[in-house]
Amino acid sequence: MSHRRFILIGAVGVVALVVVLVVNSLSSGVTYYLYPSEAVAQRDEFSDGTRFRLAGTVVEGTIAENGTVTSFVVSDGAEQIAVDLTGRVPPLFADGVPVLVEGTWVGDRFDADEAVIRHDENYSIPEEGGAFES
Amino acid sequence: MLAFVGLAALLTSFVGAGWLAFAGARTAVAQRRGEPGTDLRTPVLMVLTGALASMAVLQAALLFDDFTLAYLGNNHARATPFPFNVATAWAALEGSIVLWGLVLATFTWLVWRDHDRRRDALSAGALAVMGLVGVFFFGLMLTVANPFEVCIEAAANRCLASSPWPWSPIQAPADGPGPNPLLQNHILMAIHPPLLYLGYVGLTTPFAYAISALALTLPGPEWLRRTRRWSLVAWSFLTLGILFGGWWAYEVLSWGGYWAWDPVENASLMPWLVATAFIHSSLVQQRRGMLQAWNFVLVISAFALTILGTFLTRSGTITSVHSFTQSAIGPVLLGFLVLVLAGSFALFATRSHLVASAPRLDSFWSREGSFLANNLILTVFASVVLVGTIYPLVLEAFTGTQVGVGKPFYNRLTVPLSFALLLTMGLGSVTPWRHAAGPLVWNRIRGPLQVALAAGLVTAVIGTRLGWVVLAVVASVFVIGVIVRHLTELAGRRSRATGRGFFTEALHVLRGDQGYWAGQVSHVGVALVALGLAFTSNLSVHETFELEPGDTFAFAGYEMTYRAPFQRTEPSRTVVGANIEVHSDGRLVAELQPRANHFGSDPTGIPSPAVMSRLSGDVYLMLINIDNTGIRLEANTSPLIWLLWVGGLVTAAGGFWATQARRAERRTTALEAADA
Repeated sequence: MSHRRFILIGAVGVVALVVVLVVNSLSSGVTYYLYPSEAVAQRDEFSDGTRFRLAGTVVEGTIAENGTVTSFVVSDGAEQIAVDLTGRVPPLFADGVPVLVEGTWVGDRFDADEAVIRHDENYSIPEEGGAFES
Repeated sequence: MLAFVGLAALLTSFVGAGWLAFAGARTAVAQRRGEPGTDLRTPVLMVLTGALASMAVLQAALLFDDFTLAYLGNNHARATPFPFNVATAWAALEGSIVLWGLVLATFTWLVWRDHDRRRDALSAGALAVMGLVGVFFFGLMLTVANPFEVCIEAAANRCLASSPWPWSPIQAPADGPGPNPLLQNHILMAIHPPLLYLGYVGLTTPFAYAISALALTLPGPEWLRRTRRWSLVAWSFLTLGILFGGWWAYEVLSWGGYWAWDPVENASLMPWLVATAFIHSSLVQQRRGMLQAWNFVLVISAFALTILGTFLTRSGTITSVHSFTQSAIGPVLLGFLVLVLAGSFALFATRSHLVASAPRLDSFWSREGSFLANNLILTVFASVVLVGTIYPLVLEAFTGTQVGVGKPFYNRLTVPLSFALLLTMGLGSVTPWRHAAGPLVWNRIRGPLQVALAAGLVTAVIGTRLGWVVLAVVASVFVIGVIVRHLTELAGRRSRATGRGFFTEALHVLRGDQGYWAGQVSHVGVALVALGLAFTSNLSVHETFELEPGDTFAFAGYEMTYRAPFQRTEPSRTVVGANIEVHSDGRLVAELQPRANHFGSDPTGIPSPAVMSRLSGDVYLMLINIDNTGIRLEANTSPLIWLLWVGGLVTAAGGFWATQARRAERRTTALEAADA
């Protein structure tokens, strides 16, 4: 086998391997962002145990702590979903802040293990509605 | 008034850049034919003076609180303290482009100094390319990102409408909202952007020389030799910029982390990876004449990635602290990116016959072979990051679906790549050029390998059995061990031969091949970073506490007491926090104040963690919640995190030291003269 052909085959092989690995990792490494109304509408596509991120505003007066679980309701104005958060609560978590929680559906509740507060580009609370365009 | 001066300054730079592009190209063509060409001093000085003046005007406006400028009305406040008032100049889009222009103008001037000494076609062509880039950026400032727009409609502390015409009837607000609160919280934020820009914009110089070399059909190693120092300078600053960005995230953002595979972070990492590949592959061309075409591909990609990075961070495509606002700059940057890529690669294609000839690789088991492996790994690494960064954008553009590519994707691919890189680093550094004899290399790595395995064993026995951590210890100790062994071996041999002291000879060895050893310093830095990453990402623990004043809790071997809440009002913010006393063996070792900062009328506030640094690592406290009855506090440990900061600094220091290496340059020149 000539030197040049050896390099060519090697290069094609490496590229193919990389593409396969990247595509494979992407298909399992991607999480979807949904607003409560989208999450409710697409309830069937995201079965219990399928992870996605839910974006919404914490509804006033719904935060309740029960041991290590923090429960609250997120809303996008149209739909509301009850969230049970195990794990760390983000600093300055409070009523009315926009949050992004990651987890899965469990029945009609959302079981989250990660939460961050979403700020807009000015790092202040966005106006009502249209808060989560990213 | 200042608006007039600022606009005049920008116009001066813009016209100078256009003139430079034109005159530079003409001079390059003339000098290629052996004719003298025109002097380029005037356009270069126009670009530089205009850029300096525009930054000076912006600083003057900030210093004298001139709220007639819309930029100040939106980003400055009278109460903003030093040095954040200075840093406000690059705290938002328009001002940050002024900084970009200043850095570009400075590099243009430095290239001109090189040109003025040599008066050759290559540098004249490079100046023409830098002129073109300057036309684009100064053009941006005159159109879609004008920092000197005047405020024509004002609210109490914000500018509502602005006009690009400085003679418009001005209505200035009495005060402004101040820069983004996050940017006022830590000194690192004032210095991280300039460092990153020095790196980003610095990559323009090798790009300009590369395009010039292609256009003038001078594809030999001359352009590499001339730009090596600039590539190293840009790379070193980029390293520092990334380091300080991560450091800032850790000290300010209050999530205990320094890296989140955020698109903005990725935007700085991609050019760094490609520039790292270029620094290695350019050596192969200089020493062995190989990889000519590849070097062009790398340097064009690195420059294109800086533009892509700017597009990603500045255009509002991605919501983050860096994307200031939805503005018209996005499409313009995207257009420029397409132009750069299409133009460069079209030029490359028409010149490909010139760069096709290359000597063969004698053996894969050689220094150049290890550089090939290094380049392969680094480019695959960069591609992985690129795919992960733009996949969500592409998917959303075509399907409207919003997705995030998270840590699992990156970790699965980049962790193995990083280990492969460490292995190549350890082996490659002591593998001779052309062909490596197995026994020689084995002799050089055997000892370090034994030490590394022993270190891994010790870690497993007394520390942790986590596979990644043990592996990272083995790999890092191996890399550092190989370098140390090589140095002591050479110095010891010389010392025995000359009879002089070991350290004298070690210094002699280091100075004798400074380029090589500077690279090894960077390698040691990278190995330390790898160790720091492995420890902090695998061995960090965290715990949440609910506390009332007087409560005591135990964490990470310390006794901590929540004394009392506090509140203080500063000119630009109100700070609410908790006083926490930290005791060790009954002795008070620190008082920590995790807190929340409220800027202006912003109700959420920005948390500030309190960090206690020790040799064993950091204890990191953040306030989750504070009210009349008590606090909710989260405590983290970051074991040995200083390895990360020290490693980053050492990596950059190696890069800066390498810029001082002249001997390698002279030796290659001599070799080529001998070949000819």
